[in-house]
Amino acid sequence: MTSMFRPAPLALTVTALLTAGCANHPWSAEDSQPATKASVVNHYADLAHANYEDALTTARALDEATDRLIANPTEANLAAAKEAWLAARVPYQQTEVFRFGNAIVDDWEGQLNAWPLDEGLIDYVKADGYQHELGNAGATANIIASDSINVGGETLDVSSLSPSLLADLNEVGGSEANVATGYHAVEFLLWGQDLHGFESGSGERPVTDYARGADCTNGNCERRGEFLDAVTDLLVSDLEWMVAQWAPGAGDNYRAQLTAADANEGVQKMLFGMGSLSLGELAGERMKVALEANSYEDEHDCFSDNTHNSHYYNGQGIQNVYTGTYRRVDGSLVTGPSLSDLVQQSNPELDARLNNQLDASMEALALMKARAESSENPMAFDTMIAPGNAEGTRIVNGAIMALVAQTGSIEQAARDLGIEALSPDDAGHAF
Amino acid sequence: MHPITRLMCTSILAVLSPLTWANDANAQARHQWHEGIANGYEALSSETADLNMAARKYCNAPAPDSRKLLEAAWLDAFLAWQRVRFVDFGPVENNNLSWQFQFWPDPKNLIARKAAYLIGNDEPITPQVISQSGVAVQGFPMMEYLLFDQQLNAGDHALPAARTCELLTNVARHAKSNSDELMDGWQAFRPHYLETDQYHDTTIRAGMAALEILEERRLAQPMGLRGNGKRNPYITDAWRSGNTLMTVEATVDGLRQFFLPGLATLLEAMGKSDLATRIRKQFSEVQQNFPGAHLPMATALNEEDQFRVLQSLYVDISQLATLVNDQAAVALGVVRGFNSSDGD
Repeated sequence: MTSMFRPAPLALTVTALLTAGCANHPWSAEDSQPATKASVVNHYADLAHANYEDALTTARALDEATDRLIANPTEANLAAAKEAWLAARVPYQQTEVFRFGNAIVDDWEGQLNAWPLDEGLIDYVKADGYQHELGNAGATANIIASDSINVGGETLDVSSLSPSLLADLNEVGGSEANVATGYHAVEFLLWGQDLHGFESGSGERPVTDYARGADCTNGNCERRGEFLDAVTDLLVSDLEWMVAQWAPGAGDNYRAQLTAADANEGVQKMLFGMGSLSLGELAGERMKVALEANSYEDEHDCFSDNTHNSHYYNGQGIQNVYTGTYRRVDGSLVTGPSLSDLVQQSNPELDARLNNQLDASMEALALMKARAESSENPMAFDTMIAPGNAEGTRIVNGAIMALVAQTGSIEQAARDLGIEALSPDDAGHAF
Repeated sequence: MHPITRLMCTSILAVLSPLTWANDANAQARHQWHEGIANGYEALSSETADLNMAARKYCNAPAPDSRKLLEAAWLDAFLAWQRVRFVDFGPVENNNLSWQFQFWPDPKNLIARKAAYLIGNDEPITPQVISQSGVAVQGFPMMEYLLFDQQLNAGDHALPAARTCELLTNVARHAKSNSDELMDGWQAFRPHYLETDQYHDTTIRAGMAALEILEERRLAQPMGLRGNGKRNPYITDAWRSGNTLMTVEATVDGLRQFFLPGLATLLEAMGKSDLATRIRKQFSEVQQNFPGAHLPMATALNEEDQFRVLQSLYVDISQLATLVNDQAAVALGVVRGFNSSDGD
């Protein structure tokens, strides 16, 4: 029989605490406390800046590693490039909490982290292991093998692969699955298609896909190298742009706008980002859909089987924003006034509960990570979601339920801080 | 206690008596909602029973007539589901019944892949296999795929091929069993629903979320009004059978029948009869788009004169969503929470 788990509801209901305001009104005694909404929003910008700087540093290391691979395609250089990619994901996935709520990030991130992608747009794929998005005219265009591609009746010259051409090709033909850029395009170029389905094992692209002359496998090795070179260069320049948006001391960047606006707007963005990533995106799109439909097509890092880390560091990002702390890739710690401080002032019980729930969801995600990285019999996310995998189901559901629970308290924190609307429209058009 | 806090608490006490009166309205609204949704679930149960029979009949004796009856039975049952689809709390959460009835959207065509896998191997397709096959297999979209998918229907596995029939009849049986479970669960849930104040907000939020999903994800996105501007019929409900807009009509109709009465009771009890009247009127404005708007989504998206029909429907639904989600919700003090449609 099927396992009788009870998945947590994704539409949350939170009891309205109509009478709770008398003793602990959020307005009371706020000014005498060190953390204010303004100082919390300011520190949030510091956190984002440090986090994007780390994403940039690790992307530069990835760019250098792929340059070495292209110049000298050896097994060691391919392994080093993969390691650099995995390291780059650690800070980037933590930045995703800045995405929802800050339209400037959400509008930009598609070029860096869009998924799932129809990889047949980029390079060769094995036809019977490839299911692309319905109605995507570019799903098998294979840019690497072509001087020009035809997508939905439009012919495009792709003879010279540059960062700006790849940026133009993103979402070509209007399909979001046409991802020519970003982390997942690089992932595909390093790992290749994962043809193992629910079985263990990730993509197995041979390093000879980058070899010169007669050693070249699967054709167009030089073009493949040009693509990898251009796509990693674009990743670096995109991250440079976002770091500048959050840099302190500039008069005309996003940070300046955010910190000059009403602090309630900033606090709303913080909470909206946490709640949206926690519930709709991470618990819902990235885990529940994959689990309930047993769909490895809905796996996040499907070529490298690094999905557990993507989820883990998404969760970490949510905790970072609430606690105002971020562990940088060099090991140093960024700390400052936090949402936790604000909630603590008005409702210590809620603050304690939410902190416990954030710890609990990180434990649940850590269990997923540990199981996937276990030296004995590791179980990757795509194996966890296989039909009839009771242990995998339990692990994934544990993470989903922990995220759902914490989202309820995030909603409550929003009320407690006097944030009335968590509507995404308000978040997107506030500036 | 600070004077200001005392003052606030006094003012809360001052409004307590109207609140008591409002409590009667709350209780009445919850009765109306419970009964309405019970009617909707009963209809779903009876329509899926008919569908189950029709699938059996067709597969026992395939003929154009029995095929026609089967396709009509599928549509009736799916529309019955659309009328209660807004209910996102209570027994429909158990075992993820909601997703079992309708896995949606399916941009990567997981349904086709799952069907090909089940039809293509030799293992008998039993109720147990369906139970273990995940939500993409277990509901109306899978049956629609088997009945209406052009590619499937052009190949060797087209109905009434034995394996395809085996899959179809077992999915129909699964949906029937789920709808019975849902109806029984809803009746058993009655005392808890009526006693628990929290379901006041929960039910209103369910209607709000349904309207938001209808406006944004079921219309604006496929119409190309969001994101990259591309029109895309494949992310709509029931695109294979061309019944997308009938499902939209059914969802609106379900909200009008099962959600609106309780909402109007609450608004009227607060002296907001005007708003209740405007919401009622807007529901009929939306419904006046039909049957004119009963056209396949692909046609509506591809032909400019037909697209205007869709635009008019969209405008009416947006206005309805504004009335309910902004004006009524604010009047009733219900705050939008996070929901599953947040994210991208």
